[in-house]
Amino acid sequence: MQQYDIILIGGGIMGCSIARELSKYKLKIAVCEAAADVASGTTKANGGLIHAGDDPIPGTLKAFLNSKGCLMYPILSEKLGFRFHKRGSMVVGFTEDDLAVLKTLLERGRLNGAPDLELISGDRIFELEPETNRKAKYALYTPHTGIVDPFEVAIAFCENAVANGVQFHLSSPVTAIRKTDGGFAVTIPKGELNGKYIINCAGVHADDVARLAGADEFTIQARHGDLLVMDKNCGVKDVMTLYPIPKPDTKGVVLMSTVSGNILVGSTAVMMEKDDIASYREGIDELIAGANKLIERLDIRKVIRTFAGNRAVVVGNNNDFYIRPSQKVAGLFHVAGIQSPGIACAPAVAAYVVQMLKGCGVPMEEKKNFIDTRKAPVDFSSLSTEEQDELIHRNSAYGRIVCRCECVTEGEIIDAMHRNPQPTTVDAIKRRTRAGMGRCQSGFCQQKVLSIMAKELGCSPTEIELGAKGSQIVYSKLKEGC
Amino acid sequence: MNEFLFDVVVIGGGPAGMAAAIEARKNGASVALVERNPRLGGILLQCIHSGFGLKCFKQELTGPEYAQRFINQLDETDIQVFLSTMVLQITKDKKVVCMNEKGISVLNAKAVVLAMGCRERTRGEIKIPGDRCAGVLTAGLAQHYINIDNYCPGHKFVILGSGDIGLIMARRLSLEGMTVQGVYELMPYPNGLTRNIKNCLEDFGIPLHLSTTVTRVIGKNGRVAAVEVTKVDEKLQPVEGTSEIVPCDTLLLSVGLVPENELSSGAGVALSPRTHGAVVNDSLQTSVPGIFACGNVLHVHDLADNVTAEAQHAGACAAVFAKGGSREDGAAIAVNCEDPIGYTVPSTICSREKASVLFRVRRPVENARMVVTSEGNVLLQGKLRKYIPSIMEELVLPSAILQKAGSEITLQIESV
Repeated sequence: MQQYDIILIGGGIMGCSIARELSKYKLKIAVCEAAADVASGTTKANGGLIHAGDDPIPGTLKAFLNSKGCLMYPILSEKLGFRFHKRGSMVVGFTEDDLAVLKTLLERGRLNGAPDLELISGDRIFELEPETNRKAKYALYTPHTGIVDPFEVAIAFCENAVANGVQFHLSSPVTAIRKTDGGFAVTIPKGELNGKYIINCAGVHADDVARLAGADEFTIQARHGDLLVMDKNCGVKDVMTLYPIPKPDTKGVVLMSTVSGNILVGSTAVMMEKDDIASYREGIDELIAGANKLIERLDIRKVIRTFAGNRAVVVGNNNDFYIRPSQKVAGLFHVAGIQSPGIACAPAVAAYVVQMLKGCGVPMEEKKNFIDTRKAPVDFSSLSTEEQDELIHRNSAYGRIVCRCECVTEGEIIDAMHRNPQPTTVDAIKRRTRAGMGRCQSGFCQQKVLSIMAKELGCSPTEIELGAKGSQIVYSKLKEGC
Repeated sequence: MNEFLFDVVVIGGGPAGMAAAIEARKNGASVALVERNPRLGGILLQCIHSGFGLKCFKQELTGPEYAQRFINQLDETDIQVFLSTMVLQITKDKKVVCMNEKGISVLNAKAVVLAMGCRERTRGEIKIPGDRCAGVLTAGLAQHYINIDNYCPGHKFVILGSGDIGLIMARRLSLEGMTVQGVYELMPYPNGLTRNIKNCLEDFGIPLHLSTTVTRVIGKNGRVAAVEVTKVDEKLQPVEGTSEIVPCDTLLLSVGLVPENELSSGAGVALSPRTHGAVVNDSLQTSVPGIFACGNVLHVHDLADNVTAEAQHAGACAAVFAKGGSREDGAAIAVNCEDPIGYTVPSTICSREKASVLFRVRRPVENARMVVTSEGNVLLQGKLRKYIPSIMEELVLPSAILQKAGSEITLQIESV
C-alpha cells in the first residue's frame, strides 16, 4: 500500500495546479485521475480565457480569486513554458440597456481589483478591434484579458508537479474511500492508496467523491456548453476577445482567437446530465448566431470541429466556487463547483488551498530544491526556417511531417511519448502536439500517429484508444500473416 | 539550407503531379517533383479497385496499376523527384520552401504547378451533433486502414454521403465481411457515378436512402453504438418525427472533397469561392503569373483519367512559360455561367485556337440543352440531353467560336 501525505482526486486544471503548488513543500503527494490523461474533463472543453475579473459578483470567492489568478499567468507562462497571449477583450453593447450593464460590470471589476478597465464607445471600439460588428455602440475594454490553451496549462502544471515528486495515477477512478487511523484509504483499480488528507477536485463528480468519503454535504449539477472551432484560414484572425452582454449564470457566447490561431466560439449554458458531453444542434445554432452578432462577416462554413463540456454548479451556492474543508469529515477538503472563470483562477486557487491547509494545521515545510520551471516541448511550426533546418540536422525525425495541417513532425510525437506522465491515447497526443487538430481532423495523420505510438508503447495499434476507455480506433488485423 | 533551380517545380506526386511533371519535361523544361509521402501515386495507392485508365490507356486498371504506369514513365526521365518532402511555403516569386529528413531546401522555380489534391470534408465541417467517440471516420481514412494498413476499423457501418469514395468503400467493406447498414444521402439524388451506385450498392444489396441525413451520433463505452438518421425537407432541414435509430459501430463519412489550397493562398493565388480551387485561365495559369494548377487542387474531378489530361495541359503550359513563351494570343474572354451550372474551369480564355471548358451542374436537369452566348449573341447550342451533378462535363470551344466571342461568354443550360 502506498503512503501519501495528500491525495488529490481529479487531474483537471485544479488537481494539476494545486499538486504543483503543494509540491513546493515536503509532502508526498498523489493525484488520482479517472481518465487516461489529465485535463480530460471540464478542462479540455472550454475556451481557455483568462478573464480579467470584471464579471464575478463582488464578495464572492470567484471575485476574490479571479483578478489575482489573471495577473499570475504572464509569469507562470514563462516559467512553465506554456503559451499565454494577452489579447485584451471587450464586452460589446448595442443598446442603452446594454450600456447600463456595462457600467455595472465596470463597477464590479473595480471592486474586484481588475485593473485598467475602460468604458468606451463609438470609433474607439473599431480602432481596438476592426472586426467588431459595426452596430456596436459601447464596450467595456479590458486590456489584461488573456488566453491560454487550457490543456497545455494543465499538462504544464502536471509535468512540473511530476518533476517535483508528485505521483499521478492515471486511468484510476476512485471507487471507495475508507477512513483509517492515519487518514484515508482510497481505492483505485490497482489497489489502495493511503493518505493523511484528501483534496477533492473531481469536477462535476466532486459530490460523488464527497459522498464516497462520507461527506454528503453538497450536490453538483452540470451546466452544459457547446463550443466550436474554426479553420485558421477562416478569414478572421488574431481578434481581440469579444464578449456579449452577460446573463446571470453565463458570460454568453464569446468569440476569441486561440493561442494556436483558430477562432473559437463558446459556449452555451444549459443544465444537463453530468456525463452528457454530446454536442447539440440547438447549441451549435446558438453559437453561430452569437458569433455572427459579434463579428458579422464570420464565415461559419469554416467550422472544423464542434465539442462540448460541462461546468460544475454546486446547488444553492450562488454559482460560486465551493472551496472549503469538509464540515463532516476531518482531513477532507473540497475544491468544488469550479466553473468559469476556473482556468483564470487556477493558480490563485492553488495558493488559496495552501493557505487553507496551513490554516487547518496541515504541516507544511517548504522544500529547498523545488524546480519552478519546465522546459516546453519543441514546437516545430513556431520555429524560424533556420531553426527548423538546424533541428532536422540534429535529429532527422523532425524532418518527417506527420500532421500536415498543423505541421507536426514525427520528432514532436516521439518527444511527447517520452514525457512524464507518458501519454497513452491518441487524444493525449493531440492535446500535446496538435496532431489531428487541423482542418482535416486527423483524416491524414491518425494512422501515422497510431503507428508511432504503437512503436513507442511496444503494443499493437489495435490496443490504442482514441481517448475514453473502450475507444480503440482499429479492432484487429484484417488478414493475419501480412 | 540547400538551394536548387528548376524551370518547373511540381507540387504533389499523385496523378496530377506526375502527369504535369512528365509533360513539362517533354516540353523541354528541367523539372522537380515534390511529394510528401515516401511513394509516388497519391491517393491512387489506396484505390485498389478497378476503373482507372479507360480513357488514358483504353484499359481497365486498378489505382496502383494506373499510378505505376506514370511512375515507370517518370523513371525514364531525369525529373528530380523529392520524396518524403513537405512543402512549407510557396512565395510569390516562386521559391518553394520544403523540408525533409535532410533539412530545409529552397527550390527556385521559373514556373510552379500546384497539384496537391484535395481532402475529405469531416464531421466537424458538417457539424454532426452527438457524442465524440471512436468510430467516426472519413471514407478515405477507412480505405487507408483497410487497403494499406491491414486493419479493421469497424464491423457494422453506416455510410453518410453517396460520394464515390463512400460507394466504393461500401463494396470494399462488404467484400471484407463487414456489414453496411445503409448509405444515407442528404440530397434527393446520389452524388456518385451511376456505375458505382450499381456496382457497389445494388450488386451488394446495400440500401441507399436519399433525402436523409445523420442527425446524431450515439456513443456507448467510448465507441459509436448507433446513429440517428432523419429525413430532410426541400430546404435540407431535418423533418421532425422522421428520425430512426440505426445500430452500428462505425460511421463512415463521404460528404464531399475540398481542394487543399493552403499553400496556394500563401503564394497569393486567388481562389474561386465556387470550386475552392484557384481561378485559372485556359492555360491553367492562376492569378500569379507562372503558377499553374491542375487536378483536384483546382477542382474536384470524378475520374483520374480526367485529372491526367488536365495535368498534362498544365505541365505543358508551365514549361512554355518557364521558357519565356506564352500560349495566350488574345485578350481574355471571361467565362460566365448561369444556374444550374455551378462553376466553370477555366474562368477566362486567352487562346483563340481551341479551349476546353469543364463544368458541373448543381442539380440533375433532364431534357436540357447547352447554350453558349456572347454579349447577347448565341454562339452555340447543344443537343437535348440529361445533366447530373456527379458527372463533370467538358465543352470544347473551337477557334471559330472563340474568334466570334466578345469580352465574355456565358454558358447556360436551358430546360425544354
